[in-house]
This record gives sequence, C-alpha cells and structure tokens, in this order.
Amino acid sequence: MNFLERLTRRNTLYYPGCLAKFAAKEISDKYQKILKQIGAEFIMLPNAELCCGSPLINSGHPDIAREMAEKNFKIFKEHGVKKIITNCPGCYKVFAKDYPKLVQGWDIETEHTVVTLLRHFEKNPPKVEKRITAAYHDPCHLGRHMGLYEEPRKLLSLLGVDLKEMPLSGKESLCCGGGSGVKTNYPELANSVAKERLEMAKKVANLVITPCPMCFKHMDENAEGINVIEMSELIDTGETK
Amino acid sequence: MTDVAKLVEERAKGRDAILQFALEYKAKRENALSGENEEELKNRLEAIRKNSITNLSALKSRAIASLAANGFVVHEAKNAEEAVEKAKEAIGKEKLIVKSKSNTLDEIKIEEALEGREVVETDLGDFMNQVAGNKDMHPVMPALNLTPRDMANAIREKFKEVVEAKPEAIAGFAREYLREKLIKAKVGISGANAVTAQGNVIMLENEGNISLVSRMPDTHIIVVGIDRIVENVEEAMHVAKCSAIWGTGQKWTSYVSVISGPSKTADVQNKLVVGAQGAKEVHIILLDNGRTQMINEGFGELLQCIGCGACLNFCPAFHQVQNGFGCDALGGIKGVVTQMFRKGKQAAFECGAFYCLTCLSCKFNCPAKIGFGKYLLKTRELLVKEGLEPEASKKMAEKAKATGNPFGSSSENPKELYCC
Repeated sequence: MNFLERLTRRNTLYYPGCLAKFAAKEISDKYQKILKQIGAEFIMLPNAELCCGSPLINSGHPDIAREMAEKNFKIFKEHGVKKIITNCPGCYKVFAKDYPKLVQGWDIETEHTVVTLLRHFEKNPPKVEKRITAAYHDPCHLGRHMGLYEEPRKLLSLLGVDLKEMPLSGKESLCCGGGSGVKTNYPELANSVAKERLEMAKKVANLVITPCPMCFKHMDENAEGINVIEMSELIDTGETK
Repeated sequence: MTDVAKLVEERAKGRDAILQFALEYKAKRENALSGENEEELKNRLEAIRKNSITNLSALKSRAIASLAANGFVVHEAKNAEEAVEKAKEAIGKEKLIVKSKSNTLDEIKIEEALEGREVVETDLGDFMNQVAGNKDMHPVMPALNLTPRDMANAIREKFKEVVEAKPEAIAGFAREYLREKLIKAKVGISGANAVTAQGNVIMLENEGNISLVSRMPDTHIIVVGIDRIVENVEEAMHVAKCSAIWGTGQKWTSYVSVISGPSKTADVQNKLVVGAQGAKEVHIILLDNGRTQMINEGFGELLQCIGCGACLNFCPAFHQVQNGFGCDALGGIKGVVTQMFRKGKQAAFECGAFYCLTCLSCKFNCPAKIGFGKYLLKTRELLVKEGLEPEASKKMAEKAKATGNPFGSSSENPKELYCC
C-alpha cells in the first residue's frame, strides 16, 4: 500500500474489547457475523490493538491508561481508522469520553453496536416470528455514563422483545456488580450486588437481556432461576443455535 | 473468608431492608417532586452550595460576626478534639445531656467524649440504636437494619418494659421515656442543616425532638461544619426544602426551625431579659476538621453535600455493606474521601475506596449535582501511589502494562475477569 492510499483510507474498526476478545469469544464472533450480515465494512486489529485502558482508569492507574491510549491512537492512525464500532459499553465510554482528554488530537468517532444495529434494523426491520418477554438491564457505562437508554429499548422492540421494566431501570438502574474491578477485587461483594439485581429482574421476567459482555458474564455466573443473554443472541445469523 | 466476604455476609439483613426502603423512598420522592421543576431545584441548590464552598472564608467571617451580634456564643474548632473541648466547657458539670441526631456530633464522637455522663439520644432511630447497641447505618435512617421485633426486644432487655413490636408502640414508648429526660436536662446538643452569614441557624426535622432539645434546656450547643454556611435564610430554606425532598421524599418536613439567638423577652417594662421559655445560652461551634484541607487539595466539591443520603439509596456497594462503605463518615464516596482527610489513606482503603462500582448512581441522585466519580478515581490514584490497592488490581495493572491487556499474555480464557 502506498503512502497516498494510507493517507486517504477511511477505515471502520470493529473493537470487541478485551472481555469479548479473550473471555467471551462467542460474543465477538457473533458481532462480527452480524456486522457482516448487515453490510457494515470493518477491519479488525486483534494483534495490534491494546486494551482501551478502562480498568486502569478505574483502578487508580491513569498513567498506564494514558500510555495505552497513546499507543492505541498511533496504531489506529496507522490503519486509517476514522471510526470505532464496539460492543463493549466500557470501551465505548472510554473512547468517547476519556480519550479526548488522554490523547492529543483524538478525532476518531466511536459508536456502540446498539446504535449501529438500531440504524440498520429501523430501515430493515427483521422478521419476528414470535415475540418474547424479557427484562432489560442497563449497563452503567451505556446508560448513565453515555446516556443511551432509549436506543437499546427500541432495538429490543424491533428484535421482538416485549420489555418488562425492573423497578430500578434507565437512569435509576442498579449496577450488575461486575464493574470497576470489584468482580475480581471483592468477588463476594460483586456477587451480592448481582444477586440483588437478578432478584429484581426475576420479579418481572424470566429472561434478562443486556448489551454488555461484563454485565452478561457477571449476571450469568450468578443467575439462578432466570436466564441471562447478551443482546447479540437475539439476532439470527443463520447458524444453528 | 476475606474481611469483605465477612462484611457482606454480616450485612445481608441490612441489604434487604435498604432495598425495600429505597423503592419506597423513590416513590415518595417522585411524589414530592410533582409540581416542581427538578432541574431548577438542583441547579439552584448547586449554585448555593458552590458559593458556600468557594467563598467559605468570607462567609465564615461574616457568619461569626452576625451570630455574635445575635447573641450566640461563637466558637471555632480546628478539629474534633477542639470541638469536644469547647462543648465540654459549655456543658460544665451537667451530668444529663439530651442530644438530637447529627452526623457532625457523630463526627466528633461526642458520646464517647462524654462518657460517665448520661447522653440521651432523642431521635427515635438513634435512640433505638443506643438502646440496642447498634451502629448508625444511614445518614437519615440510622436504624435501618433493626426490625420492630429487634427494637421491642432491646427495650425489654434494657428497660424491662414490654412493648408491642409495632412502630406506633415503639414511638409511643420513646415519647414517654424521653419527655422526662427533656424536662430534667439542663443542656441540649444538636447539629444544624445550615448557618447563614446573617447569623441564623436552620434545623429541620419530623419528630419535634430537635425543637425540644434546642428550647427546653437552659443551654443549647450547636456543632456544625464550616461547609454549611450559606448567604441568608432564603438560601437556607432552599437547602431545607431539598433536604426534605431528597432526604426523606417529603415536600417539607414537619418542622423547620430558624434560630437567631437565645430566647428573650422585653415584656416587663420593655427591659430586655435574655432567657424566657427557650434556651438562655446558645453556643455554636464551627467545625473545620479537615474541611479546609479538602478544599485546598481539590476535593471541595464534595462539601457541597447537604447530608440527605440520596446518593446511598441506590448505591449498589452501600446496599451490600451499608456503613462498611465509608465507615463512621457515612456516605459512600464522600465517606471514603472524608476518611482519607480525617484518618489517612489506610483508613480510606479499609473503608472501601475500591468497593465503588463507578456506576454513577450517586451523581444522578445528588440534588447538589456533586460529581463524586472523579474524586473517587483521584482517591484511588493517591492510594495506589502509596501501595494501597487490592492484590488483584495490582496484578491486573502489571499485566496490562507488560502485555497491553488486563488478562496478561496467557489471556486465552482468563479466569479472573478484571475489566471495565
């Protein structure tokens, strides 16, 4: 590739985030399939990209976070990245809100998959054979941190979900307990929060849906008498389930 | 079992109580906010409280002069020990002191300092905590974790009185028991919700005990943080209104007192006599105790707090461990930061600097719009610099620095999901 091509490239990067990349690969695989299916053109940089820095920002290590952010920016620029699509609310919040403060000249647009998918399915409503009832868990990073409350709810409706709201939802949503390192630092505390949240969900539905790999993993591990799924599981990509 | 695991297990009963309380509180608060412009209320409170903190030293000078002119005996206390000393001087040899609920009195540990004398809690929640030997669990719901059965049992044990395990019966017992103490006591001690630069002290309550504590004894002692000074009564009333809405979900509490000096009369030949039916002597102790340092070190926004406790009602970490998060400086993130300034970084670490899930619920529920999150992250950063961080967190940071991801080089199917 010559210099001019490098300069003029306008790539969209699909950034799965470390959890979907390493610990819940099925989520990353699924989003890749979905993005291809809806005709989104994207590149991936699994061996070049680094962690977005979210766990470091939240654990009192802003210097390491800044280092990683600068490295990421350089890598993204080398690959002509103009836009990032990510399924991780944590990465989404960090790229959109923290990188402009951490990295000089940050000019890359960030979008959460909820928004990408909503845009597509609003124009091309999917065929829904049977509607289901479920609760929606607002991930803190998507809701309170980034203000996306309506978008995931609209998307759920298009995907055939009749929503049952929990007593604490939207702006007042109760955290799943997994974030900010608590899941690993103090697992009993994190699990106790998850149980409180899941009890709340059980009162309204027997299925809870969330568009966050961390909320999904953490609630799924703690779920008894209720099913937890990641948003992407609602979308049919043709393979047998 | 780790300390945190033990704490979570011990506090499980409180968790269920606080969730129930939070849901009821939410409905009441929504009702109290009907017909109000929530954003306007918050913006005005934020402006009032910002002014309190940014102009603290000027407001304090003006308040001291005005309070003195209004007949208060004004004291300044640099720290808790000084505040206790001033309070003890004002109490003199009196052995019976009636006390109303105040987080500032808890802060200076007045009860411990007055050991050997009878300090009677007159707020029902605090009274029951005192009777049952329970710790304060929430800034506005101190006995949140005690059931009516626990309370009735505690009354039976301490006073050999059989009281029905019902809220009405428990309140009735306290009313009768406390009347006698209020009549006998020569000294009452309380906190305050706001002080004005024009020399007024504002207190709000539902029970009526603060009115009695401040008026029935000869001497009334007020201990209040220097962060609570506002310009005037109009501003103080806004603080009171927001405290009612966000504290207990009420449009107004039953009582709001404006105290502007000792009780007095000029009914006999227009000659001024100080001390009619209320307190003859009113002392006010303005407490710093780390507040100026908090402001100087960039944490002043946290002092915009009006102590309503709304931040804790939907705090997931607080739900699980209650006052384990913030310890005796009740209040989640503000509690943790306050511990850092009062007792040091080790205390901040032990009181849950890493319990917070950074879910932002506190900020969304704060009527003074305090951005708690950035102060938590700043605190964590300061702690980490001194090696105070959970082991898992330290390992994650090392792995991330070395390999570029939090799970490290052997990152296939990691077991420890340190993320986000």
